[in-house]
Amino acid sequence: MISIANVTKQYRGSTRPALNNVSLEIAKGDFVFLVGASGSGKSSLMRLMLREDVPTSGSVHVLGENLKRISSRRVPFFRRKLGVVFQDFRLLPNKTVAQNVAFSLEVIGKSQGFIQEAVPDVLNLVGLGEKGGRLPSELSGGEQQRVALARAIVNKPAILLADEPTGNLDPATSEEIMALIERINLAGTTVVMATHDRGIVDRLQKRVVELRDGEIIRDQTGGSY
Amino acid sequence: MRAGFVFKEVGQGLRRNLSMVTSVVLVTFLSLTFVGLAGLLQLQIGQMKNYWYDRAQVAIYLCSGVSPQDICPQGETSADLKLAIEEKLNSATLASYVDKFYFENHEQAYKNFQEQFEGNSVAKYVSAKQLNETYWVKLNDATQSQIITESFNGMPGVEEVRDQRSYLDQIFSILNAASLASIGIAVLMLFSAGLLISTTIRLSAFSRRRELGIMRLVGASNFYIQLPFILEGVVAAAIGSVLAGAAVVAIVQYFVQGYLVARLPFTNFVGISEALVIAPGLVGAAILLASLASGFAIRRYLRI
Repeated sequence: MISIANVTKQYRGSTRPALNNVSLEIAKGDFVFLVGASGSGKSSLMRLMLREDVPTSGSVHVLGENLKRISSRRVPFFRRKLGVVFQDFRLLPNKTVAQNVAFSLEVIGKSQGFIQEAVPDVLNLVGLGEKGGRLPSELSGGEQQRVALARAIVNKPAILLADEPTGNLDPATSEEIMALIERINLAGTTVVMATHDRGIVDRLQKRVVELRDGEIIRDQTGGSY
Repeated sequence: MRAGFVFKEVGQGLRRNLSMVTSVVLVTFLSLTFVGLAGLLQLQIGQMKNYWYDRAQVAIYLCSGVSPQDICPQGETSADLKLAIEEKLNSATLASYVDKFYFENHEQAYKNFQEQFEGNSVAKYVSAKQLNETYWVKLNDATQSQIITESFNGMPGVEEVRDQRSYLDQIFSILNAASLASIGIAVLMLFSAGLLISTTIRLSAFSRRRELGIMRLVGASNFYIQLPFILEGVVAAAIGSVLAGAAVVAIVQYFVQGYLVARLPFTNFVGISEALVIAPGLVGAAILLASLASGFAIRRYLRI
């Protein structure tokens, strides 16, 4: 599903590579925590999986696509098979909850009929069925992240990439979000989640990949932080 | 592909950027009006050339009492010499080039001169004897005046042979320079219109960078991302160009046909049909310019 082999990523203007000879295999349905200090390379790794960057050397294969070779015309179609959430939610402030989710379908050319069915469904799934007409500013942080999750999974992606999705949330709200992400994973979606949240990693006992200075120093199934 | 969504985005972009869009409309309007008028001037010059070159004659000026001694040592051209000139014009070698010719004597020349310079003080000081008698030669093909010039230059009794087109050429070269200058200015204005469109679109993209970021994240195709922006530039420029086209047609209708034609009755002016050729050209040029400029502006937001 995700296959990263001997990847080195050197950003221009920096002496130390952000990722140094990293190899990682993630199978379908896996739930993987990426942990490590800030600057350890978690975000760089996620950017490579999303084809926002290409590796300096080594290869990245995601969903059967060689991301080093893929033509820029095909990148958008590749991204439709991925869902992404961030620490800062990235919602459109002038659109309602339902419009935010619908927007991501409109821009990939889905029909109005499909959108009218899919948006309420996914909002019910994340527990926001009643709040489709609200603006993001009228929601709590946890609710906003639910909207972002709804937007990420509405197109039924094979992989969910989550970059510190609980970074801005209090522990109780974080638990709710994690319960939701676990449910998404149980439905068959592969989850890769970068996090600093020790409590969550320890409680879920999933596969943990720890990075330090751009290198993988631990890859442990059923691990803790 | 959902047209409704694209048009909604275009409408939003136009409304959000109203002042910039207005300036794009105005600048394309002004610059394209200029381009259109320069084009009309070119067509006008072409028409006048056709008209006047057709009527241009070659003048064979005969010696008069006041001609310079070195050219006309014998003074006033005698009747014999005039006969010789007429014979030469009628001769087999020249007859095929000459359509017709006529003789203008001192009195006719004086009358024409007085008409031409009516009210001008020079008319008072000129006497009939000072004005050359002239053979006016109309050629079958006005471009072949060289033949007449070569045949009669230096012939006794001939002071000068002059093709009227040489006067016309001066006028036309001035008009042509004016029209080329206006085309040059128009090109400069179009260039600035292009830059303004590209700045406007960049601004519009910047104000929607969150949307653009999300569109890229969820996998909207480049075509889908840039289409609303390109259309935004095209719509603004198209409005300006339609106004410019209307202005060109109105200028021809009310200024050229309504005013100039009445004031200068012997000139053949451009009409509505020429304006109607230029107007769609302006709209086409605006659409091309705007799609290139906004396409270029939006490119950097599409880098994956």
